[in-house]
Amino acid sequence: MERHMNGVISREHQNIVSELMHQEDGSAAVDGSGFLNGSSEDMHAAESFLHQAMDIIIDEAVKKATNVNEKVCEWRSPEQLKELLDIELKDGGESESKILQRCKDAIRYSVKTSHPRFFNQLFAGIEPYSMVASFITEAVKTSLYTYEVAPVFTLMEDAVLRKMIEMIGWEEGGDGLFNPGGSMSNMYAVNLARYRFCPDLKEVGLYSAPRLVLLTSQESHYSISKAAALLGFGTKNVYLVPSDDRGKMIPSALEEKIQLAKSEGAVPFFVNATAGTTVFGAFDPIDKIASICEKHNLWLHVDACWGGAALISKKHKHLLKGIQRVNSVAWNPHKMLMASLQCSAFLVRDKSSLLQRCHSARASYLFQQDKFYDVSYDTGDKSVQCSRKPDAFKFWLMWKALGTKELEQRVDRALNMAKYLEQEIKKREGFKLIMEPEFANVCFWYIPPSLRNLPDGPELRKKLHTVAPVVKERMMKTGSMMIGYQTHGDKPNFFRMVVISPQVSRQDLDFVLDEIHNLGKDL
Amino acid sequence: MEPALCDLKDPLINHAEGQLFLNEAFKIIVEEVLCKGTDVQQKVCEWREPDELARLLDLELRDAGEQQDRLLQRVRDVAKYSVKTSHPRFFNQQFAGVDYHSLAGRFLTEALNTNLFTYEVAPVFVLMETEVLRSLRQLVGWTEGDGIFCPGGSTSTVYAMNLARYRLFPEVKSQGLWALPRLAIFTSPESHYSVRKGAAFLGFGTDNVILVKVDERGHMIPEDLDEKIELSKSQGAVPFLVSCTAGTTVQGAFDPLDGIADVCDKHKLWLHVDAAWGGSVLFSKQHRHLMKGVDRANSVAWNLHKMLAAGLQCSALLLKDTTDLLKRCHSSNASYLFQQDKFYDVNLDIGDKSVQCGRKVDCLKLWLMWKAVGSSGLEQRVDKAFLLVRYLVDQMKKRDGFHLLSEPEFVNVCFWFIPPSLRGKEGNADYQNKLAKVAPTIKERMMKRGTLMVGYQPLGDKVNFFRVTVFSHLVSHKDMDFFLDEIERLGSDL
Repeated sequence: MERHMNGVISREHQNIVSELMHQEDGSAAVDGSGFLNGSSEDMHAAESFLHQAMDIIIDEAVKKATNVNEKVCEWRSPEQLKELLDIELKDGGESESKILQRCKDAIRYSVKTSHPRFFNQLFAGIEPYSMVASFITEAVKTSLYTYEVAPVFTLMEDAVLRKMIEMIGWEEGGDGLFNPGGSMSNMYAVNLARYRFCPDLKEVGLYSAPRLVLLTSQESHYSISKAAALLGFGTKNVYLVPSDDRGKMIPSALEEKIQLAKSEGAVPFFVNATAGTTVFGAFDPIDKIASICEKHNLWLHVDACWGGAALISKKHKHLLKGIQRVNSVAWNPHKMLMASLQCSAFLVRDKSSLLQRCHSARASYLFQQDKFYDVSYDTGDKSVQCSRKPDAFKFWLMWKALGTKELEQRVDRALNMAKYLEQEIKKREGFKLIMEPEFANVCFWYIPPSLRNLPDGPELRKKLHTVAPVVKERMMKTGSMMIGYQTHGDKPNFFRMVVISPQVSRQDLDFVLDEIHNLGKDL
Repeated sequence: MEPALCDLKDPLINHAEGQLFLNEAFKIIVEEVLCKGTDVQQKVCEWREPDELARLLDLELRDAGEQQDRLLQRVRDVAKYSVKTSHPRFFNQQFAGVDYHSLAGRFLTEALNTNLFTYEVAPVFVLMETEVLRSLRQLVGWTEGDGIFCPGGSTSTVYAMNLARYRLFPEVKSQGLWALPRLAIFTSPESHYSVRKGAAFLGFGTDNVILVKVDERGHMIPEDLDEKIELSKSQGAVPFLVSCTAGTTVQGAFDPLDGIADVCDKHKLWLHVDAAWGGSVLFSKQHRHLMKGVDRANSVAWNLHKMLAAGLQCSALLLKDTTDLLKRCHSSNASYLFQQDKFYDVNLDIGDKSVQCGRKVDCLKLWLMWKAVGSSGLEQRVDKAFLLVRYLVDQMKKRDGFHLLSEPEFVNVCFWFIPPSLRGKEGNADYQNKLAKVAPTIKERMMKRGTLMVGYQPLGDKVNFFRVTVFSHLVSHKDMDFFLDEIERLGSDL
């Protein structure tokens, strides 16, 4: 069997060891051929392998992936792909060169989310400084529960949270942590709000509590609903507040729903306002909502997972006006700011260790109180998780590299791009804007020539509804670009263009509109 | 046209610069983190007080950016002051060591930067995750089933609780707990704290987590489980879940799964096996008996980033269920992600099985490692760990001053170090107090010297003792000898 840098031991070795293990005195084998002797690593082979792997990664997953002349995706059906990847896991191992080939294959058939024409999600592009930070994180491979085992990353998370809190505008400071995703951050907000309402519920459960009600807009992210189900409130106790035709929560409607809940004998305790809704990129009027929440003593959380980046831009931060009045914020730097996935911050305006009190279980094998350093640096008990990845570092290193000014420029540019796209869509026949973008989401229909003379009505809508899915299929099979589509309310399927990456230029946006027309004009 | 729009002609980013930085930084990572980090001649950690470290790292985030040279120095600093968790003398946690195939897989995961919610955006990884879960289920003994990767074992516990609740009372998803009777959860005091955290988080309340007695080695006692269930019922509660442990955190004990499964079958409770730590014994023909009966469970949590060094996070939740319970329990059918009119089979869009939206790709690193060494290679690592532990225990017994709590069942070796000044003094009134101070002092010394890292904790009425976890395939018997010598060196004068 090939000598393997990860120490796959041959059959001969095993037999010797078995013999030695059965020695009279029961002592374990220690001689030269022994299983237990020396580390089974060959550092040179390991280094060589890693360098080769990194060469492949840089050539294929970075250089090619960001090259506009290459495809965004190499579409294959699941059956084909399983075969191409030889996906089944087996008993025996493989050579280094085979593994390197597998790396190439995984890259080839993966979607190039860093491609200039990938617009499918609320993340895109590439940020090399963040990527380096994520490589370091993987190599250092530690967990963020105690200072003793992650000293550097503990301090870095703290520094990043402080800076984010400064941008939000909480002068008295706050608390927070990084979570595996914005959905989790939203769940933390709900849990904290419950704990503040009645700390005893942590021990006794919801059974003896009054019926608690959460309020959020109809445009908000589905994680509020998932949070309600998971945390035991039930989705029917999430009251949806209507939004206006720009996708923003209507404050008077919020007041009505609160009164409705109270009249039913229920107790509203939590309001979620969204700063940058998923589909339209709309911003709820936080200031007005904050006034209502203060009046009724409700916890106000702002889901700024998508729109939080606007806080970095002097020009656009007004979109989150009032945010310094809220109780908690979720903000994902892995979206518009392009930190590597995952990079999701949860911030709470509290200096009373609420996070810690709400979540702690004080496990004695991790959070000993007789350590030789200040144990307030052990952040583990703020979290519902045990092991936690050092995600904040991916944001810290890129912030150091770029500086706030450059981050601001990127946000401004992304929003300028959206304006440009809006203008172009208005100029072109066959493209119809759903609404003028407030942020970076540009939602529009492409109406093929054959449908352009139809009057607005059920027939047009039905046919229009089938256009986007076909154009999407064609673009993916061509590999020219990726854009998302969806319905919304009773609207037929429309495209949602989201511009994030500063590597995207005007030509790319022109291309998108040209290509949609090319792919869909015969429909 | 606004002035800024003219600038939109060209990309704002300089790819060549970025790629240069990637290359240079990578060299530093290999040298400083990987080579030095696995070299016994180098320190395990470079201890600094938090204030001092904050100064050294220059943490402040500023308006202006920095040059590449400065940033590369920062990379070096992070490497220098981070604990070397792959070092052969790092025994502090339930993760250690490094597998280079998995590491390559992790770098690749980062570079490809995607989420696992739909086939369209992560085709390779959706298929890969399905295959990895299938192979893991096979080791559990299930030919069918379901599962998902979670961001940690604690989340796997939370999922199991949520699924068990939903199975019994599907209306809870919409109605909440007010529509249900008081539910009871059963676990042992040796189980992981995520059971309690999960109970609080999901709204059950930690008072409704009933602790079942354990024997002197830390194993749940099935007879007591049965009694506690009956008692709970008589008090008007509805038992619905038992969370038992395959490899407890401190002692590494394996609860008797068959006996517990009998009780769960009798009362029709969901049986969750938290095998986050011990699950990897299933790779070993020699040691899998420790989890005999696991196929009778409803769910199994198994963290491959622990014993098998797949790299944080690699936490699988495996389910026996074939009724799409996971999806029914968690789905919310968001129309902007899970359109039903896609051009491919939308069952491949696994996102709605999760409570997360964006979810990291955690399967590639495990898949690549498994391909590289095969199940037999992983089996060898597990077997080697047990052999090393046997060696360590044998050596410990030969030396004065090392007092085992009990014979290890797994790879956790729990022991007190009794310095010479305390030997023979067990009768003294202040013996326990003095002994309690030994481990923390030795820990401080080892970290300041950077020679070793091993954890300590109290347990019940037992004062501070060390828990050394030996399983990294980079560790040899020489490291075991060093371990014992160093503890002696650090503690002999106490």
